[in-house]
Amino acid sequence: MTKRNYATVNPCVMCQPMGSALAFKGIENTMVLFHGSQGCSTYMRLHLAHHFREPVDIASSSLSEKGAIYGGRENLKKGLKNVINRYNPKVIGVATTCLAETIGDDVSAIIREFKEEEGIGDDPEKDIIIISVSTPSYGESHVSGYIKALDAVVRKFAENSEKPKIPEDIEIMDYMENMEIMGYTEIIEKEKVAETLQEAKSPDIKETTNGKLNLLPTESLSPADVRELKEILEATAGDYIFLPDISETFDAPLGNELPKIAPGGTRLSEIADMPNSRASLGLGIVSKNLALAYLEESHGVPGHSVPIPIGLSNTDSFFTELVNTIGCPIPEEYQKERGRLLDAMVDVHKYLYGVKVAVYGDPDTVFSLTAFMLELGMNPVLVATGSKSRDFGKRIKQIFEEIRPELEPVVLDGIDFDSLNDAVSECNPEILIGNSNGRYIAKARDIPLVRVGLPIHDRVGAQRILTVGYRGALELLDRITNTILEATDTFTAPVQVEPAAYAGQGAEKEFMEGAQ
Amino acid sequence: MKEKTGIVDTLEERQPYIIRKQERGQVIPLACDNNSLAGAISQRACVYSGARVVLNPVTDAVHLVHGPIGCAGYTWDIRGAKSSGIETNRSSFSTDMKEIDIVFGGEKKLSNAIDELVGIYRPPVVFVYSTCIVGIIGDDLDSVCKTASQKHNIPVLPIKSEGFKGNKSDGYKAACDALKQLIKRPEEETVEKKPEVSQKARKPKINILGDFNVAGDVWLVKPLFEQMGIEVIVSMTGDSTAKTISRAAEADLNLVQCSGSMNYLAKWMQQEYGIPYLNVSFFGIEDISIALRKTAEYFGSEEMKKQAEEILETETNRIMPEISRVRERVEGKKAAIYMGGAAKALTLIKGFSELGMEVVIIGTQTGKKEDYEQISYSVRNGTVIVDDANPLELADLLVKQKADLMVAGVKERFIAYKLGVAFCDFNHDRVVEFEGFDGFVNFTREVDASINSPVWKAVKQRILKPEGVESERTAVKENGENISEKPCAKKYKEMHMDPEFLRQNQDDAVESQV
Ligand code: SF4
Ligand code: SF4
Repeated sequence: MTKRNYATVNPCVMCQPMGSALAFKGIENTMVLFHGSQGCSTYMRLHLAHHFREPVDIASSSLSEKGAIYGGRENLKKGLKNVINRYNPKVIGVATTCLAETIGDDVSAIIREFKEEEGIGDDPEKDIIIISVSTPSYGESHVSGYIKALDAVVRKFAENSEKPKIPEDIEIMDYMENMEIMGYTEIIEKEKVAETLQEAKSPDIKETTNGKLNLLPTESLSPADVRELKEILEATAGDYIFLPDISETFDAPLGNELPKIAPGGTRLSEIADMPNSRASLGLGIVSKNLALAYLEESHGVPGHSVPIPIGLSNTDSFFTELVNTIGCPIPEEYQKERGRLLDAMVDVHKYLYGVKVAVYGDPDTVFSLTAFMLELGMNPVLVATGSKSRDFGKRIKQIFEEIRPELEPVVLDGIDFDSLNDAVSECNPEILIGNSNGRYIAKARDIPLVRVGLPIHDRVGAQRILTVGYRGALELLDRITNTILEATDTFTAPVQVEPAAYAGQGAEKEFMEGAQ
Repeated sequence: MKEKTGIVDTLEERQPYIIRKQERGQVIPLACDNNSLAGAISQRACVYSGARVVLNPVTDAVHLVHGPIGCAGYTWDIRGAKSSGIETNRSSFSTDMKEIDIVFGGEKKLSNAIDELVGIYRPPVVFVYSTCIVGIIGDDLDSVCKTASQKHNIPVLPIKSEGFKGNKSDGYKAACDALKQLIKRPEEETVEKKPEVSQKARKPKINILGDFNVAGDVWLVKPLFEQMGIEVIVSMTGDSTAKTISRAAEADLNLVQCSGSMNYLAKWMQQEYGIPYLNVSFFGIEDISIALRKTAEYFGSEEMKKQAEEILETETNRIMPEISRVRERVEGKKAAIYMGGAAKALTLIKGFSELGMEVVIIGTQTGKKEDYEQISYSVRNGTVIVDDANPLELADLLVKQKADLMVAGVKERFIAYKLGVAFCDFNHDRVVEFEGFDGFVNFTREVDASINSPVWKAVKQRILKPEGVESERTAVKENGENISEKPCAKKYKEMHMDPEFLRQNQDDAVESQV
C-alpha cells in the first residue's frame, strides 16, 4: 500500500513461544507448557494443528486476572503438577509468553521451588526434567524461539549429565536475560572469552568421544525433511544425534497404540550424550546456532554450520562436510540421486531460465531456496524474510555475488505481508515461493504460489513436503517447473491467431465470436 | 456424587465438569462458567478471541490489535466469514509492540498506527483490541481512541479484551459493547414498536443477531425472510458494515441465533429501543421452521404466515429426498458434539435427530448453567455432558461412548481422526454453508461422507499381519458359516486401538448405557 512506520499489516512471523514448541516437540516424551494466559497456547495449538494435521497438546498455566497482578507462581506450579499427573512426561518445556514476561515472573525460581516441594531431584534417569526458556514475543520471532529452546535443552542435559559444576537454572536464566539485552553474538563472544580464560581442559579435543555426529538445525524442518536427513546420516555417519526429531511426533502413523504424548523424538539419553560427540553439524548459516556454539565452547565439540541442504550446491556442501568430519565415502545411492538431479536440471533448464521469482519465509530456508533458484537459472527478484535478521541481507547478497553477480534482487528482512505485497508489485515476479500466507498476494496478482515453509494450512501434506537432500531438490524442482508449466501451458488453450490469417472475412468474425 | 466421578479418567478438579444424564430427566448440577484449570489444556481461547470472532465479520472496519505480533498473526482471517463487498476485515493489523513499547508504553505507537491505517484504508470505523500485555503496562486505550476519533471524525472504539481478564464470553460482551456504540438512534421513530402498526405502515424489518456468515450462511437465510416480505436490515455481524449496523435500531424484531455472544446485545436493544428478540436457529428443518413461524406469528399477519408455510413446504419437499437418502445411511449412528457455545450445540441435537442419529456426548467451551440445564433436557439418558473439556477427556469419551462422528472445531478434528472417528467441522473453518435449507443438505452430505467413508474400515486394521489374513481366509474356505466365531476372525474384530489412557483405571470405566 503506502509506506508505513507504525502499523504491521498481515504479519509474516509467528511469536517466540511457537518456535520453542516446535523445538520441544521434537524431544522424546516431552510436554510443552506456556506460562501465560490461555489464549496464546490455544492459538498456537490451532496453528500447528492446521499445519501438521495432528493433535497438538500444549498446556497453559492459564493466568487469570489474579495471577497477572500478583504473579503467576501458583498457576505455574499447578499447571506443572497437572501436566505431570495427566501426561506423565519425562521432560516439560516451559516457555514464557508476553504476559508472563511483562509481569516479570522469575520462572526458573518458581520451577526450583516446585521441584523442591514435589521432591523432584536432578537425576535424569528417574526425575522429570523441567527446561525453561524465556520467549517474550515482543523480543524476537519464532525463529529465535526455536534456537533458544534448543540451546536451553542442550544446556540442561549437558549440565545434568555431568557432575553439577555450576548451579544449573541460574546459569540458563542469566544467560537468557543477558541475551535479551545484548543479542546473540555479543553474548557468544563474551562466553568465548570466558571459556578461553578458563582454558579448555583438554586441548587435544575429544579423545573420549562416543563417535557420534550431532545435527542441529536453526529452523524447523518438515517431518519429511527430518526423515530424509536421518536416512542420509544413517547411510554415512551411522551414529548421529538429530535434535529435534519431529519426524514422528508431528507426522505420527496411525497405529494401535495411542499414547498421550506422540511417540518418537530425540531420545533423552542421546541429548545427554551430545557433549561427547565427535563433532556437531549445524544446518543454517544465517541465524546463529546457539546450541552448536555452546557445545563447542563448553564441551569442546567442534561445530560447523552449513546451509540447510536445499538445492544442489547446498546439499553438496552438506555431504562434503559429512565426508570431511566422518571420513566416509558418499554412498553410491546418493551419487545416483545427485546424478538424477543433474539430469532433471538439464531437462528443465529452459523452462526456468530467467523466470522471475519471489522467495519469502524464515531466513535460513529462504537463503537456501534462493541459492537453488539461482543454480537453476531463475531470477530471484525479491528475497524476503519476516524475521528481523542482521545477517540476512549480507548472506543473500553474497550468494548472488557467487552465482549470478549481474542480478539485482530486492532483499528485505522484518517484513509483513503488506510490504511484501508492495515489493511484489515493484518487482513483478512470475511465481512466488513461500508459505500459505502469500496466497492472497498470489491470488490478487494471478501468479502461482509454490508452498514451502510454515504455515501451510490451505493445502494438505505440509508434513510431507520434502526439500532437503538431492531427493528434496528433485521434488521441489518438479513442483516449481510443473507449476510454471501449468500457468503457461498454451497447448490445450484455444488457438486464436493462426486461423484468422487464412480465414475469410466472415469466418473471422464468426471465429471471434466463437472464442468469446 | 458417585455418578459424577469416574466417567473418564481425569484430574480430580475436573470431575465436576463431566456428568452423565441419568434417568427421569433429573438434572445433575454440572460445574461450569469458571476459569480454566492450569495445565489442563483447555480448548478455550481468550477474551480477545471472543471479541475478535464476533467483530471480525464487520467487513469495512479496520481491526487493529494493540499488542505483540503473535496475537494478531494467529487471528489473521481466521473465520471463513464471507463478505459481499469490501474485505478490509480480512487483513490483520497489529501495532507489533516491541520491548521499548513495553517499557515506555505503547500509546504513542498506537495513535500513530491508527492515523496511518485510517489514512490508507479510510475505514468508517476502527476497532482497537487490547491484548494481555496492554492490560499490564496500562496504556490508556480510551483516551487514545477518543482523541483519534475526534481527529478523524469516525468511531475509533477500544475493545477491552485483555486475554487474561476473563474468558471468551467476556470477549463477546466487549464486542457487543462496541456494536452498541455503532448503532444509531433512528430519527423521528417512536421508541415503542407495535407490531400491528408497523406492519400496516411499512415493511416489517428485522435484524439477525449472532450469524457470522461463515461460508456464506446468511445468504441462504436472508432470502427466506425476504420472501415473507420482511426486510433484513443487518446480520450481526456476518457480512455487515458500519453503515448497516448503524441502522439496526430501525428494526421491529431481533432474531438471535448465537445466544452466547448476542443475547447481551439483544437485551440491551430491547431496553434501549424497545425491540424485542426471539432466540432462533437456522440450522435443521425443524429449527428453520420454528424460526419462520415464530417470526410470522410475531408480526401477526395471516398473509405472512401463509407465505411462511408455503416456503416451508416447497423447500422441505425440495430437499427431503436428499435428506432421506442420507438418513438411511446414517441412522442409528452416535454423534459427539463439542462446540464453543451452547446455542449451536442445542440446535445440533435437533439436527441429528432429524437424521435419526443419537447424541452420546455433548459439551461446550463457554456454556452457562441455564445452557446446560436446557441441554440436559434435550438429550437422552446416558449422554455425557461436559464443560471445557480437554483433549484427553474428549478422546477418552469418544472411545467410551462409542461415538461414530464428532462435530467440533479443528483442534478436536485430529483427536477424532486418530481414534478412527468420523468428523464434521462446525466452526469457522468450514467452507460450505450449513444454515438454511441448502445448508442442511450440505451438512447431511458431509456427515454421510465422513461416516460412510471406507477409510474407517481400512483404519480398523492398523498393523498388517499377513498370517492373520491368511488364516482368516482359510477359515472362510473351510467353514463358510459363522465366521465371527472363528478365533482368528474374532481376534481381528477386536483388534482395536489401545489408547493409553484407557489402560489406567479400567474398572472405573462406565460403559455407554445408551
Ligand atoms: S501474547 Fe505474545 S506469546 Fe501470546 S500470542 Fe501474543 S505474541 Fe504470542
Ligand atoms: S496474549 Fe492474551 S490476548 Fe493475546 S492471544 Fe494470548 S491470551 Fe489472547
